Amino acid sequence: MMAQKQEMNQNITITIDGKSCVGKKGNTILEIARANDIYIPTMCYISKVKPIASCRICVVQIEGVEGTVLACQERAVDGANVIITSETLYKHRQNIMKLFSVNHPLECGVCDKSGECDLQNKTLEFDVAAQNFSAKESDKKVEDWGFISYDPSLCIVCERCVRVCNEIVGESILEVAVGGYNSRIINTDLDNDCSNCGECMAVCPVGALTNSEFKYSSNAWELERIPATCAHCSSGCALYYESKPLSIANREKSIYRVTNPFEFNSLCGAGRFAYNFANQDVSKDTAAFKRAIEAFKVAKSIRLSANITNEEALILQKLKEKYGYKLICDEARSYQKFLSAYSSVSGKSLYNGDLTAIKDSDAIIVFGTRINDDNPMVKYHISMASKWHRARVAYLHPIEDASMAKIITQFIKYEVGSEEGVAALLVDALLSNIELSDEVKEFLDSLDIGNLSAESNVGEEELEKLAASFEKKSRRSLIVGADLYGHPRAIEIAKLLALFEKYGEFNVILVPPATNALGVSLICNLDDEDTEEQSIGYNIKGDFTLGSQGEVDLDMPALNQQEGTLTTIDKRVVATHVALPFGGYTLNDIANALGLEAEYTIDYTKELPKKGGYKAVEFDALTQELSSLEDDRGYLLDVKNVKSSEAFEEIEDLPTYDGGVVYWCNEGLHFTQNTLHKYSQSRYLKGSQQFAAAMKISDGEELFFENDTRQYVRIFKLDASMKGTIAITASVAEPLEASGLKNYRYTLMKLQEDGVIK
Amino acid sequence: MNEKQKYIMLDLGGTPLTPWCRFKRVVKRTFRIELFIGLWVTIREMFKTLFMGKSHTTKYPFEKMPIPPRYRAIHDMLRLLESGHYRCIGCGLCEKICISNCIAMETRYDENQRKEVSEYTINFGRCIFCGYCAEVCPELAIVHGARYETASEQRASFSLFEDMLTPIDRLKEQEEFAGYGAPTPWADKNIKKTPLAY
Repeated sequence: MMAQKQEMNQNITITIDGKSCVGKKGNTILEIARANDIYIPTMCYISKVKPIASCRICVVQIEGVEGTVLACQERAVDGANVIITSETLYKHRQNIMKLFSVNHPLECGVCDKSGECDLQNKTLEFDVAAQNFSAKESDKKVEDWGFISYDPSLCIVCERCVRVCNEIVGESILEVAVGGYNSRIINTDLDNDCSNCGECMAVCPVGALTNSEFKYSSNAWELERIPATCAHCSSGCALYYESKPLSIANREKSIYRVTNPFEFNSLCGAGRFAYNFANQDVSKDTAAFKRAIEAFKVAKSIRLSANITNEEALILQKLKEKYGYKLICDEARSYQKFLSAYSSVSGKSLYNGDLTAIKDSDAIIVFGTRINDDNPMVKYHISMASKWHRARVAYLHPIEDASMAKIITQFIKYEVGSEEGVAALLVDALLSNIELSDEVKEFLDSLDIGNLSAESNVGEEELEKLAASFEKKSRRSLIVGADLYGHPRAIEIAKLLALFEKYGEFNVILVPPATNALGVSLICNLDDEDTEEQSIGYNIKGDFTLGSQGEVDLDMPALNQQEGTLTTIDKRVVATHVALPFGGYTLNDIANALGLEAEYTIDYTKELPKKGGYKAVEFDALTQELSSLEDDRGYLLDVKNVKSSEAFEEIEDLPTYDGGVVYWCNEGLHFTQNTLHKYSQSRYLKGSQQFAAAMKISDGEELFFENDTRQYVRIFKLDASMKGTIAITASVAEPLEASGLKNYRYTLMKLQEDGVIK
Repeated sequence: MNEKQKYIMLDLGGTPLTPWCRFKRVVKRTFRIELFIGLWVTIREMFKTLFMGKSHTTKYPFEKMPIPPRYRAIHDMLRLLESGHYRCIGCGLCEKICISNCIAMETRYDENQRKEVSEYTINFGRCIFCGYCAEVCPELAIVHGARYETASEQRASFSLFEDMLTPIDRLKEQEEFAGYGAPTPWADKNIKKTPLAY
C-alpha cells in the first residue's frame, strides 16, 4: 500500500502544445492540462465523477501515436508530447459540435439554460455557422419527473446525469436508452419518485433537465448569486442562493433557485429545493424587542436549537457567562457528551474522519443511523466509495433501509437497545487481532460474546463474515449516528467506538445530529437539566420565544438571512452570507442591549473559542468559493490532544424492547423546521402490518402518545414495504420543534385499554 | 475638394462718412425695386393661402410630418400577422441590453407549456431611445414606433405591455418595421440551407 501511495505521488512531466507541464503519476492528460491552466474543450467531462468519454470533444494527439486519444480518460505517460491545437483537431471538434446541434431546437430565447449553456458556448467557440449534417426528427415529448422536467429534444445524451445518479447519489435510476440519434435518458423510477436530489439537473450542460418550479421564471443572468452554506443538515454544503426582485411591482428580493458548484460538490433535495425558509416582511418591532429584553432579565434558562450559527452560539454562551443562564440544547447536549467520552479514549478532541475519507474508503461500517435520512451527503460519499473502490459497506441498524439497498453489502440487524452490546461485538470482531492495550484486552476477554450475540440478535457468523470482508481492507471508515448519542449507555458506547480510531486506524465520523450541533457543542457549555422557571427559546419553544418560524414573540432572521459561520461534519468552519434582507432585530441587538458589545454578529467570528479548536480568523478572511474537488472553504478546526484513559465499564444487561417501538427519524429530506415549507410533513407514524397487528391499529387511525418530554398526535400509515415492530415517525412536524432528541431515538409504545396509545 | 477656395470680393462701396452721404444711401436703398418684389411675393402667397388653399405650414399638432423608418420614437410591440399572438417570446435580451436599465419583464410557464410574458414595462422617464432593444430583439417584437410626443404630466411615465401592443382590431394596419434590427432587403441571400439527406 505504501509503495502504491508513493507511486501515486511521483511527478511526471509532459509537454502540452510546447509547454512543459508537471503532474502526478496516474493523472489524466486533461487533469494535468487543467492544473497547468491549459484549456482543453470538454462537454461531457465533469470532475466529480469518473471520465464519461461520450462526447469525444477532448481529443488530442500524442506525438508518435497514431490517431487521437481522449484527454479526459487517457493517463499521461511521462515525457509524452501532447498536441491539443491543430487544424485537424479543430475540424474534428467543430464537427462534433455540429452533430450536437443537429435538430437542436432553436429556442435559446426561451430556454432556461440560455446564458449558462455549454452547447451555446461551444457552438459559438467552434464557429458553427452552418449545418451539414441532418437527421430525421422524431416526436419527443417533454417528461415530468416531479421537481424536474426532461426535454429529450434538447438532450445531447452526454450521460452526465446518469453517471451522477449512479456514482454519487447511488440511486442508479437514470439510464441511457441507446438508439443512435434517438438515444435518450430514461427515468426508471418515475412511479416511486426518486429522492429528488436534483443532481442530474445540476450537471446537465444543456436545458434538457430543468427545474419545473423555476422554469421560465427568470433568465440566468438576471439572478444575483450569493455564496452560502446549506442550512439543513450538518454537512454544510456549499451552494448559491440566486435571487432577484419578486416582480415588477414588488421589488422585495426573493430566492428563485439554488445552484451549487456542481463540478465539485453535490446537494441533496433539501438543499436544492427547500430554500424558502426566510423570515420575510419583518420590521423592527420595538415593543416586542423591549419585552424580549425584559424576558432575558427574568429568565433563568435559554433553550436553543442547534440550527444557529457559531456566532449566535457564542453570544448565548457569553450571555450565560454574564447572567448565569442555563443553556439547554437537546440536540447538541447528548452529542457533546458522546464526543467528550469519545475523546477521553481516543486522546484527540475530535473524531478523525471526514467526508473525503469516506469517499476514499474501501470498507465502511454504518452504525446507529438511518444515514440517508440523517445526512444524505454521507450516503453520497458511501456511494462513491462503493462505486469507485468497491467498498464493503456494512450497515448495522434495527430497521432495513431501502434507500441504501443498492450500496450496502452486508446488512446486520440488531435489537433495539442493544447498541452497547453491538459496539462491543464490533470491537471484538474487528480489533481483537491487532495490538491493543492491556486494559482493552482485559475488557475484551471479559466479554461474553455468545450472550451478547444472542441478546443483540447479531449472529456470530455475521460478525465473522464482517471481519473477513474487512481483513484485507486498508482504508476503513466507521460512521456513527444519532441513535447512539441519546442511548442510556452512550458514554460507554462512545468509549468503545473510540478504539476504532485509536487502534484500528479507522476513519471515524460522529455524524452531528443537527445543522450546527458540532459547533454548538464546541462553543457552548450546555446544561443537562432545564429549570422549571422562566425560559427563553431560540428557534425552539420557550416561555419567551425568539425564532424565524412559527408563532414567535420576537422574529429572528433565518439562516439564509444572516451572515455567520457553521461548523460542518468535516470539522470545517464555513461562512454563510445574507441571501435575503431581514428588517427586524437580531440576537446581536439583544446581546448589545444586555451589555455585550459588538457592532455586527460577525465580530464574534474571531472570538470563537480556541479551546474548541477554532482559530482567530476574521469572518471576511474566510474563503467561500469551492476551488477544487476537496472542500477548501473556511478553515479546519484544530484537533487537540487530550488526556486519554481506558476505563471501560462492564456491559450492562442489554435492555429489551418488547412490543411496538417508535423510531424518531425525520424521513424524506427533513432535518429541521426549515424544510417543512417545501416537503409536506404530515404527522404520520409509519409502520408495518406486523406493527399494526401488535398494536391493534389500522391505517389512517389517529394516535396519541407521549415520549418523555411531550405529547404527540400522529396518523398511522401502513407501509407494506416495512417489516418488524418498529414504526417510524418524524420528530419535526411543526416549526419550533427540535430536530434531534435528547433521549434515545426509540421509544416503547404501550397500548392503553381505551385504545389510546401511551 | 482639393480646389482652392475662391473668395469673391463684393463691391459694397465705401463707408459713408458725412451725414449727407448717409442720407443719400438710405434714400437709395429704400426706393430700390427689390422691396416691391418682396412685397409682391408676400401678397401672392397670402392670396394663395387664403383663397386657393395652398400653404407650406404644417399645422402641428393637427398635422404631422411623416417620419423616416429609422426614427426612434416610443416603442411598439408587434403581433404575429397570422395568429394575432404577440411576438415577444420573453427572452429577456432587450432587458439585458438596455443601457439605461428601463425595461423590466416577468415571465412564467403557462398552461400551454410556453413562456408567457406576464408583465412588461418600459420606464420612459429613463429611456434614451438608443434603439438597442429593437436591434437585439430576435423576433422583431419590440420596435420603435412613430409616436414621438413624450411630454407627460408626470416626471416619469411608464408603459405597460398592453399600451405598446398593436390593438388586436387594428392588426391589419400593423406595418412591418424597417428600422434597426429589421432584416436587410438582401437577407434571403445570406441563408444557408441545411441539407436533408434522409
